Amino acid sequence: MEKYISVCPYCGSGCKFNLLVENNKAVGVEPLNGVTNEGELCLKGYYGWDFLNDTKILTPRLRHPMLRRSRGAPFETVSWDEAIGFVASKLTNIKQKHGPDAIMMTGSSRGAGNEANFVAQKFARAVIGTNNVDNCARVCHAPSMSGMMATLGSGAMTNSVGELENTDCVLCFGYNAAESHPIVARRIVKAKQKGAKIITCDPRHIETARISDLWLPLKNGSNMALVNAFANVLITEGLYNRDYVASFTEGFDAYWDIVKTYTPELVEPITGLKAAQIREAMRMYAGAKNATILWGMGVTQWGQGVDVVKGLAGLALLTGNLGHLNAGIGPVRGQNNVQGACDMGALPDFFPGYQSIKKPEVREKFAKAWNVASLPDKVGFSLTDVPHAAIEGKLKAMYIMGEDPAQTEPDLDLVRKGFESLELIILQDIFMTKTAMFADVILPATSWGEHDGVFSSTDRGFQRFYKALKPTDDLKHDWEIHGLIATALGYPMKYTSTEEIWNELISLCPPFKGATYDKLAGLGYVQWPCPDVSHPGTKFLYTGNKFTTPSGKGQLIAAAWRPPLDKTDKNFPLVLCTVREVGHYSCRSMTGNCAALTTLADEPGYVTINPADAAELGVRDQALVWIASHRGKVMARANVTERTNKGAVYMTYQWWVGACNELTVHHVDPVSKTPEYKYSAVRVEAITDQIWAEAYVKDAYSKIKHSLAAAIPATAAAVSKALEPV
Amino acid sequence: MNRFIAADSTLCIGCRTCEIACALAHDQSHDIESLTPSHFQPRLHLVRTFQVSAMATCHQCEDAPCLNACPTGAIFHDNQIIQVDQSRCIGCKNCVIACPFGAMEVVSHPARRVFAGIEMQNGVKAEAHKCDLCIDRAAGPACVQVCPTKALHVMDEEAIGETRRQRQQHSTLDSSTVRAVA
Repeated sequence: MEKYISVCPYCGSGCKFNLLVENNKAVGVEPLNGVTNEGELCLKGYYGWDFLNDTKILTPRLRHPMLRRSRGAPFETVSWDEAIGFVASKLTNIKQKHGPDAIMMTGSSRGAGNEANFVAQKFARAVIGTNNVDNCARVCHAPSMSGMMATLGSGAMTNSVGELENTDCVLCFGYNAAESHPIVARRIVKAKQKGAKIITCDPRHIETARISDLWLPLKNGSNMALVNAFANVLITEGLYNRDYVASFTEGFDAYWDIVKTYTPELVEPITGLKAAQIREAMRMYAGAKNATILWGMGVTQWGQGVDVVKGLAGLALLTGNLGHLNAGIGPVRGQNNVQGACDMGALPDFFPGYQSIKKPEVREKFAKAWNVASLPDKVGFSLTDVPHAAIEGKLKAMYIMGEDPAQTEPDLDLVRKGFESLELIILQDIFMTKTAMFADVILPATSWGEHDGVFSSTDRGFQRFYKALKPTDDLKHDWEIHGLIATALGYPMKYTSTEEIWNELISLCPPFKGATYDKLAGLGYVQWPCPDVSHPGTKFLYTGNKFTTPSGKGQLIAAAWRPPLDKTDKNFPLVLCTVREVGHYSCRSMTGNCAALTTLADEPGYVTINPADAAELGVRDQALVWIASHRGKVMARANVTERTNKGAVYMTYQWWVGACNELTVHHVDPVSKTPEYKYSAVRVEAITDQIWAEAYVKDAYSKIKHSLAAAIPATAAAVSKALEPV
Repeated sequence: MNRFIAADSTLCIGCRTCEIACALAHDQSHDIESLTPSHFQPRLHLVRTFQVSAMATCHQCEDAPCLNACPTGAIFHDNQIIQVDQSRCIGCKNCVIACPFGAMEVVSHPARRVFAGIEMQNGVKAEAHKCDLCIDRAAGPACVQVCPTKALHVMDEEAIGETRRQRQQHSTLDSSTVRAVA
């Protein structure tokens, strides 16, 4: 048996383990004493690797380049030469006819690695000539990035995962650590054991709420009102650190001007919380020697996400909980390399290392390094701009790497219309997905496990992961594919290793410069900024309370509360909020192909509902129900539980039959363009004929499964045989 | 005293990593790809209420109701735990009904026998499943090993002695200021 050091390909916790291999087959994992995981793993880490063996539980692996010459025609397996030639000629054509900004690219926040993202954005900027490149941070922590950059200067977690257990107070706001990051949840549990106070702000009685000293079950959609009331209490009760505010922050007067009206008493009807609870929470937070705020999608996936992030940063600034150990604020990253895709500049407004495309000297530096005359200065499209831009004819081509927007974006009907409006869709991925069904060209890439590289964990930690399996012959590295297309487009690009790419990128990014491959070898862990090789990396940001804002001061910025866009009414009386579940990840193209994880949870997925709402609708626990919104209707299984608040239902977004994104609204934050996944008006309908409903789920599931498998010529024969009547 | 798996609800995050570890540890092939919804038989189960998340499993009772209820003597006491000799289990489910913790489960699978070199079906074979502390596993109970928050422990004589000592101390200190009225 061989052992290869790896980093878990699922959430952003950055857990290290050995991937165990026998005869080029993955056979298990063995936890390693990594910096964030300390020898522990969750179920996805322990049992989420068998997709590497192409189990075909959900979908078959993509193994050969495929293309279709017209929409609706079946895919043909082609050679790499033909696929690359096809892509290059189509892209050239579109660029000539519509300009470079008619082409959209994505990075991948998943297994591809930092090097692949660096090359993808280089391809967009230097080869195509556009800043139209984005990654799925857009639909998760983009508001954290925008909000924290404006207030503190950097968009990442200020402190480290390991520090959490030594903080004196953890304020979890819209963050369900147990489902999203079990290995971060472990630190919260340890903090509690060590005597820390825990405060949870969440409408649901989530796992953390169970161990909390205070649980604030705010009404769905009232975040900004609560955060403003928190600030109001800190100031009116004199709980804030006057010296800190005077010395290290700016904007107090304008900030106070807004938050002064948000007294806890006045926001009671908005938040549904008693004023006393709000006051007590802030007394607890401000009373702790070191306090940490953690948040997740409960803060960011709103039409008003950026403002709430700024508000949370404000609480830390008011109390001086920044710039030192065991405190800070943490947007905990959901995908294993979503931090990395952002670090690498798979963003429409930043080069790698968060260097603004608006700065001429930055553009000049990259243009020189990449040997092009100039680089574009216009901010590119965001991922969530794609459907409308495509329908309006502004976008003609999309090159998607390792993402499944046809499953994960809001309002899937709109996404499909957008895809149909595009002239060219190139998909580079490892498994057949719903998005692949819209593609004109499919380029099969190597998977995590089959290549090496560097990931960035949620706390800015660079870690190397090593190749464990030899990929089959027709697979290529993501960066190799971009290189081949670039070369065919007349921009010779040939890298021979990820280290070569890494060296290029760290030489162009001052905060990453010292994080060399040697330093990251084995269990090496380097948190940026790391300006030179002798630097150990940075555990927590803003030492000496020097912020990286233009003035060097922390910015206190408040905003008035805005209600969610969708409105519940007689027809759609419940709020749908989309959430995570611990055993599945993202669109589930990986976890859905893992036997143990699929055994624990499979189609059509659950809709959790409070017993009172269920009783009123005549819905029994475990019964199949319809969930409908203005935009669509799907079936899911009811999970009747008191942990879910009355008036709201919750679904996870990885299911095909119970695809909650058929229901979600396309309403985005004006700054970060992140969708309001957390609030769509829906109704739940009981189904009388449960036998029919069970058959419907089975049939719908098997139809999608078979259509995806049958789209691949190599597996189509086997599928049609399997479908023959016995 | 019998050893048993104790679950600490204050540490449990409800992730069910232990359930998979248990199912795999007791699967003959130990092959993850053999797991399916119909072939998934963990011997501990997550229980969730509004306030509690914890694993329900066997307490290895000293005077075990499952053992007492078994009509074929399949359930026996050895090596400080309650074990099952599957060859004697008839699947009567007396143990399931007798167990106050819901920790017993009876499963059945097609039985096979070999006759004249040919393997053939031979009715069904029942098995009474319960926690056996992974007695055949060198690294000890699989659930305890994988739990990321260390919410599961093997409670043996020493551990239970320590728990009692701590509880006695706490309760004594808590009540030290209370004076009897009489």
